[in-house]
Amino acid sequence: MSTVNRSLLLTIDKTPTQNYIFRKEVALARPKQDLLQGTLDLLILQTLALEPMHGWGISQRIQQISRDVLRVNQGSLYPALHRLEQQGWIDSEWDASENNRQAKYYRLTRTGRKQLLEERENWARMADAVTRILQTQE
Amino acid sequence: MVSPLIRLRTLFRRKRLEQELDAELQFHLDMQVAEYVRQGMSPERARVAARQLFGGVEGIKDDVRDTWLTRLVETGVQDARYSLRGLRKHAGYTLAVIVTMALGIGANSAIFSVVNAVLLQPLPYTRGDDMVLLRQERTGVESVGFSLKDIDDLRTMSKTLDAVVEYHSMYFILLGGAEPARVTTGVVSWDYFDVLGVEPLLGRTFRAGDDAHDAKPVLVLSHEYWQRVFKGDPAIVGRVFDMNDRPHVVVGVLPELPMFPKANDVYMPRTACPFRMLSQTLDRRGGGMAAAFGRRAPGTTVDATTTELDTIGQQLTATYPRAYPVNRGHRLTATPLRREFTRGFESTLLFLLGTAGFVLLIVCASVANLAIARALRRDREFALRAALGASRSRLLRQLVTESVILSFAGGAAGLLLAFVGRNVLVSYVERFTTRAVEIRIDGTVLLFTLVVSLVTGLVAGMLPAISRRLNRRPVTIPGPTPVARRDIRRALIVAQVAASFMLLIGAGLMLRSLMKLAGVDPGFNAESVLTLQIDMNFSKYRDAAERAAYLDRILTSLREIPEVSEVGASGTIPFLEGAGQALSSFVVQGRQVERGHDVPRATVLFASDGYFGAMGIPLVSGRFFTRHDTLDEPLVAIVNRSLAERYWPDTDPVGQRISGEGVEWHTIVGVVENVRQQLSLDPRDEIYAPMGQMPYLTSNWAIRSTRDLSELGPLVRAAVQRVEPDQPIYRMRPLTELRSASLAPPRLTAALLGIFALLALVITATGIAGVIAFSVTQRTQEFGVRVALGANRRDVVSMVVAEGLRLTLTGLAIGAAAALLLSGGLSTMLFRIEPTDTVTYVAVSSVLLLVASAACLLPALRAASVNPIDALRAA
Repeated sequence: MSTVNRSLLLTIDKTPTQNYIFRKEVALARPKQDLLQGTLDLLILQTLALEPMHGWGISQRIQQISRDVLRVNQGSLYPALHRLEQQGWIDSEWDASENNRQAKYYRLTRTGRKQLLEERENWARMADAVTRILQTQE
Repeated sequence: MVSPLIRLRTLFRRKRLEQELDAELQFHLDMQVAEYVRQGMSPERARVAARQLFGGVEGIKDDVRDTWLTRLVETGVQDARYSLRGLRKHAGYTLAVIVTMALGIGANSAIFSVVNAVLLQPLPYTRGDDMVLLRQERTGVESVGFSLKDIDDLRTMSKTLDAVVEYHSMYFILLGGAEPARVTTGVVSWDYFDVLGVEPLLGRTFRAGDDAHDAKPVLVLSHEYWQRVFKGDPAIVGRVFDMNDRPHVVVGVLPELPMFPKANDVYMPRTACPFRMLSQTLDRRGGGMAAAFGRRAPGTTVDATTTELDTIGQQLTATYPRAYPVNRGHRLTATPLRREFTRGFESTLLFLLGTAGFVLLIVCASVANLAIARALRRDREFALRAALGASRSRLLRQLVTESVILSFAGGAAGLLLAFVGRNVLVSYVERFTTRAVEIRIDGTVLLFTLVVSLVTGLVAGMLPAISRRLNRRPVTIPGPTPVARRDIRRALIVAQVAASFMLLIGAGLMLRSLMKLAGVDPGFNAESVLTLQIDMNFSKYRDAAERAAYLDRILTSLREIPEVSEVGASGTIPFLEGAGQALSSFVVQGRQVERGHDVPRATVLFASDGYFGAMGIPLVSGRFFTRHDTLDEPLVAIVNRSLAERYWPDTDPVGQRISGEGVEWHTIVGVVENVRQQLSLDPRDEIYAPMGQMPYLTSNWAIRSTRDLSELGPLVRAAVQRVEPDQPIYRMRPLTELRSASLAPPRLTAALLGIFALLALVITATGIAGVIAFSVTQRTQEFGVRVALGANRRDVVSMVVAEGLRLTLTGLAIGAAAALLLSGGLSTMLFRIEPTDTVTYVAVSSVLLLVASAACLLPALRAASVNPIDALRAA
């Protein structure tokens, strides 16, 4: 299944008209890279820790660094960005982009930085735990 | 970690936020197009591909908007608007829900306003919660009162009390107003109001020196007396009234306050009371006439005071063995004054609150039921809205919003009800506690109402919402009601029936108890007797001989009224509050009380010549008192049959001698039949002393006449005032009226419970009718088919009624089980009725079944009248 198709399905999921009809298929077809919300928050915060960035840049950066394993769906990205901003972990500013267009740049705030540390620890703990379990199974 | 400031900002910058969001998403899209072009696509193809990848822009925008606070407010306003529009359109439903909620919430707010004022709030004195009531007890005698020396001892000996104040209450005759007035007077030590922490409304309260021996007598008026008699005259301070042959100056007016143990008209410093200043009162030790209140020193506890009082009691007993006899179980105690205010009333009040809570539960169930019925009719609307993009949570919020709007409207109406009914409630509570003056609809009651309304609204709104979740279906198919929802509705009806049953049992038991009480034979004939109280002027009739002569003159004067058959007087009269409740110990001549045995105890009453005849109390043996039982003659007494049988089971006690303290001996000259001083009290052992030998200051008169009692009143007044023009006449009432008034507290409690139970019954009946009617509508076709296939109309009716009765019977069984479990708590409030009284249970069950059948009958008849052809065609 191509990326395009997956995205299409996810998009339909957000279209309430067909809510009932597609819910089941969507749930099945949800790609494995579809990120848990908490993980997406962590990735966004980590990406912004390097430098302020606009939404497009964040999605590109995550895709590049993960060597195309992780793709962020814009349908998840923008709600996440706005939620993080409302929570005060990031804030935003309009600035000229690399191609000289105005773009909304997000930047990590001080509480956001603390949150990032916390989320990283959580992630490490969880990854560690999962690894241990996998090791015992061998 | 939500930063409220940022969230709030979104409320006001809505337009800009939208523009920025558009620009942000457009930028992303453009970048994607550029990326595809860079990868080699044609610009047109790239645009299409980017759009495809991006998906529905509106959907993303909507998800983003959901993170903004504005969204919450917006949808809230929208929900409210929808709700209001829908509710306006269904005025019948709206009205039914608001009225039901108003009744339920109003009942709770009203009862809570009482609980709040008399149980929860601290006493409205500066250090009210530190105040304790001190008591001097002897075995079997609750309180013997304090002598003045006792109080002095307590004041000096106690370390845990930083103040001890003295109080007693008596009547005096106040001259200088429009008429001679009998005023109830609180006689207190000068620091009384200071210790309580009461600030005067006008003038001042008492100050040091007001109770010095040569001080000029002063008065402080209670708020109520000042309003009632002087119409709130601000110039009252400084006015002079004659009392006890001395001028008394009014120095202040108290604010509206609850007073313990009763509300007095006026207060005076203790040295102004001539009775207190008698040398025999001042020198007395041991029991006495005064009450004492203590104020706990900061940082001490009631327990510490109790322990200390035990020690003080022992010391006093050791020092003055004659005044505080050990073998009578002399003991000192302290209890928080706040609890004393509501002694005996708490359980009634909490019971009422619980009852009101039950009513509210029934209201919740009923409203939820109505809401489910309404939601069922709106299935299509909701399905449509879901199809148009409303999320499930949004629909749920809509249901709850509607319910909360209704419950707030109901709460507001309920508060209005509580406000309108507060005077009735105050006059009810006044019979139990003086704290009734504190009852008001204040902030706490408002908050309570708000919370109750909110919770009621949430509960009543969540139930249909939950039942929707159980039945989520993508498309609405016309057909029978989904099972889960029907079950919830049925469960609600069963719960309502069960709760109503319990309320009806409570009310039924109280009613039966009241009927038993009202049917009690007091042992005398209360018809055709006029009663009145005469409190003679203490300072005018100074010694026993003068008082006896005065009473005798009144007796003679009253007897001269034509058509008066018998006149007599007693210290108190049956049915009056407190009548016959105090016990005194006595001694029987020639009998020693063995160690470890109880001292003989009886109620001591006074009776004049003619009293037994006027009351219609029969003589068992010996004779009644006569005018010749005077101070110059040997002391005599009459005992009742109960006492006679207890101490002389085999012989006639006439001729035997008894005594109070073993000093002066009274010869028993007669035995009279037992009477009840209170309807609820079994006759106790009683000793009557003749008025002529013990002329009491307060006398209650019984005048038996064949004349109409309202005509008799003026004649009686004239007859008394012929003897003494300055004699106030207090409480002139037919004896039957006293009897009925003594039943007022249980009658009012039963009435309140009855109202609650009736409310519950009506709400439940409506609920049953509603559910059955709905089920009939749903089964119209089925009935049509049945009738077409030859079912009798009567079969249809009985089928529908049976459906309703099945629910009712289930509820009844649950209610009966719960009532049997819980009603034991009622036993102290019941008179001669077991909490498991069969008659009540049978009667209540019958009433419930009857009402439920009636409620089912209307929908059943409609079901039976279904035209089979129409019904089948509609399918």
